[in-house]
Amino acid sequence: MPRLEIDGQEIEVPAGTTLMEAAQQLGIYIPFFCYHPKLSVAANCRMCLVDVEKQAKPLPACATPASDGMKVATRSRRAKMAQQGVLEFLLINHPLDCPICDQGGECPLQDVTMGYANPHSLYTEEKRVVEDKDIGPLIATEMTRCIQCTRCVRFGTEIGGISELGATGRGEKMTIGTYVAKAVRSELSGNMIDLCPVGALTSKPFRYKARSWELKHSSSLCPHCSTGCNTDVQSLGKEVLRVKPRSNEAVNEEWLCDKGRFAYTGLQAADRLQQPMLRVNGKLQPASWAEALDLASSALQQVIGKHGPDAVSGIISPSASNEELYLFQALLRSLGVRAIDHRLRQTDFRADPAMPLYPALNMSLEQLESEAFVLLCHAYPREQQPLTNHRLRKAARAGAQIWAIDGAKREFNYPLRQICAPAGADLALYRGLVAILRDGEQTQDVELRALATALQQASKPLFMLGNGLLQHPQAAELLAAIASLVALVDGRISWLAEAANSAGAWLLGCVASRKIGGALVIDAPDLWSGKKAFVLYGVEPEADAMDALRARAALDAADCVISIASFLGEAEEYADIVLPLASWAESSGSFFNNEGRLQEYRAAVRPAGESRPGWKILRVLADHLEVPGLDFDDLQAVQAAWQGALGEFPLDVPGLGTFPELQPSRMVAEAGYRLLGDWGIYRQDPLVRRAPPLAEEAQARVHPDTLAELGITGSTLEVLGGNGARVQLPVLVDAGIPRAALWVNFGHPETQALGGVGRVVHLQQPSLRARA
Amino acid sequence: MSTWLSEAALEEIARERRKYPPEQARSALLAALRIAQEEHGYLPEALIEHVADLLGVPAIQAFEVATFYTMYDLQPVGKHQFCVCGSVSCFLNGSDAILAHLQQRLGIGIGETTADGLFTIKEVECLGACKDAPMMQLGDRYIENLTPEKIDALIAQLRQEVQR
Repeated sequence: MPRLEIDGQEIEVPAGTTLMEAAQQLGIYIPFFCYHPKLSVAANCRMCLVDVEKQAKPLPACATPASDGMKVATRSRRAKMAQQGVLEFLLINHPLDCPICDQGGECPLQDVTMGYANPHSLYTEEKRVVEDKDIGPLIATEMTRCIQCTRCVRFGTEIGGISELGATGRGEKMTIGTYVAKAVRSELSGNMIDLCPVGALTSKPFRYKARSWELKHSSSLCPHCSTGCNTDVQSLGKEVLRVKPRSNEAVNEEWLCDKGRFAYTGLQAADRLQQPMLRVNGKLQPASWAEALDLASSALQQVIGKHGPDAVSGIISPSASNEELYLFQALLRSLGVRAIDHRLRQTDFRADPAMPLYPALNMSLEQLESEAFVLLCHAYPREQQPLTNHRLRKAARAGAQIWAIDGAKREFNYPLRQICAPAGADLALYRGLVAILRDGEQTQDVELRALATALQQASKPLFMLGNGLLQHPQAAELLAAIASLVALVDGRISWLAEAANSAGAWLLGCVASRKIGGALVIDAPDLWSGKKAFVLYGVEPEADAMDALRARAALDAADCVISIASFLGEAEEYADIVLPLASWAESSGSFFNNEGRLQEYRAAVRPAGESRPGWKILRVLADHLEVPGLDFDDLQAVQAAWQGALGEFPLDVPGLGTFPELQPSRMVAEAGYRLLGDWGIYRQDPLVRRAPPLAEEAQARVHPDTLAELGITGSTLEVLGGNGARVQLPVLVDAGIPRAALWVNFGHPETQALGGVGRVVHLQQPSLRARA
Repeated sequence: MSTWLSEAALEEIARERRKYPPEQARSALLAALRIAQEEHGYLPEALIEHVADLLGVPAIQAFEVATFYTMYDLQPVGKHQFCVCGSVSCFLNGSDAILAHLQQRLGIGIGETTADGLFTIKEVECLGACKDAPMMQLGDRYIENLTPEKIDALIAQLRQEVQR
């Protein structure tokens, strides 16, 4: 353990500690730009030069390991001269455009210049100008401001999995960019904005909106996936102006994905609900809260009185807070309603009795980094949970063996081996694996054999179960096959939960087959068939249901649809009563993340218009319906109530339970193309779908052979759904899609019209009539 | 098989690659790019990408190296390259005047090649011969203590060699 002295203070540090880290432990600040604790050491900005006794030249503190007996001075004359010299050179080519630079006020270069620079520069020559780069719709570039610290480059290769960024040229001509004009796409790209120590990379949506010191900070959570990233919602007046990560080593470290960072831009969507509405003469008309609540409660009472409580279905978003989830199910269950669920994307619920208490990671996110063998089962964490994916990526970089089984090959950002089922034969793949492992069956499939061998050799392999499984029409059989696999190789199961509070929805009884705390409900009624009334809470079945057509037909046929939501969407056509719901940024609450970690968030701004926080709406609705016991005065009381009702529960819920007898199901077998797909990263919930910078088009992907076989030459494909739907989609050739299949990204009206995964569709060259 | 490089060049690159540990492919870039350039005369974008592919490194890493070192030519160059050092010692000893003289005599700018494909002028970074500044590199030779007269003689001599 070297002992050294920094600015006269002694410290003993473990071998390998750098001077920068040692100084930080002493609370001594050494200025820097390129150094970052999460990135490799580059030592190219030279700002952290310090004066070390008996050394001929100043040394960079970030790259110099502490050694015994060192005497370091950070404020000596020589250190100061070095700092001033470095800053003078850095500023030679840096424009003096702070007044129009978004980084102004939160700029390390500005701060360090104020603190350490010599106010006079000897430089009188011209400054260089650097061409701006296109690194996507989210990051504004002003490359003349770049000081070549290469943090963004290192972030790209080390964290983001972007291998296109680099520093080309030399000396004064060195620039950051790609070697060919090429947009950099990564779901983590926004972090480069935070990392950039100058105004070279700034947030495009936030550009020129406000100065950092004007913003109010509210500690919040990201409501867009189950990782549960901690965020800082920054607002000015009534408007959320930006979202940045809050550092939490155990969850998101200091990162945030682009979905979490930019989805707030959807809060201002045109169809944002500002006041209650009622359907009068077939059209939705603004109404008062009193009228709307009266009507909502009387309509519900009427349906229940006439058709019984099983004629009512309650569907809540898995992004709702624990408080909302608890009140929602408590209210409906008191009325006798049993069809309560949050799983719009699932169609096969036969495995429910075998499901665990909640979809748990069954370990901490940090532990995921040290896994040695992971098999991703129909899981694509890169888009489902970008920062959980980052942990997996770290595991992969540390040498973990990663495999993936899915219906199509996906674009992972770490090395792994992917096995893709022939169109629609996902189940056969898992069963094939079981047959090899259990019965020693021979197979021609080399990859599958290799996976079987790898599984046998691995010690307690981890099976990560993704959305793709639950969204599959044969979900129950897939899960049963995986359960056998896990048992055969002594594996462990880890779930990648679908949405921000899927865990909470399971725990708090927003699943038809489970009451709060996981108590089983036998013979829970179906969510859609024969329903006379629907209570929708924060959901858009038209965009989020796997079988959107069936959902829409059921909604259209119902006597009464009550939609409690932040956005109107297609509810304009089917809802009878619309209650405006405050968004996550406008209300407080708590989520359980994928680990089962309970985290709270605070309202950042006032609710838009007359919208109200969900717990208040539900509480008042309960009042109107004369449901006792839900008359809470504040959020803390709701919290105490659900915590009391839920009680203690185990964080780890390993394994799957006993499966019921599963009648063999069959995939529709008719000629045509099998529909495959998933909700892309920016189509997963109502808010992110409305974020303009994250907008993406509906898209079809097919195998090159499919295109050739159909003789399709253009860039558009016409898809005929079995249900009479006829849509045109831009087509992308992708060899990772199996033959005889069509892959689409769901969550778009065009793709939602096709009926969901597993259907058979027909493809053709767009007809002239349709094109015109 | 590679359409860019000969069997021998590929073998040489493979030999360079073997000098470094498996996870350090990047280290072999310098040599691999040099071999590719010797074979092809210069390094077009596609060849740099090809070299990156051969070593299994991201293309941008090969570009970083190729654009950093002045010894790599990203455009076709003439038979003879005047690589004039413009770093501190040479600059203080009048390398600018040497460059200006060369440009005027050959009628081309820095980085350009004469129409007959004979000469290219380049300004390069320090070549480590400061004691005899100003200097330049021509092929495998260093030509030191440059003067305009020395350059004129050199150009004449090189032209004569070609005519012979």
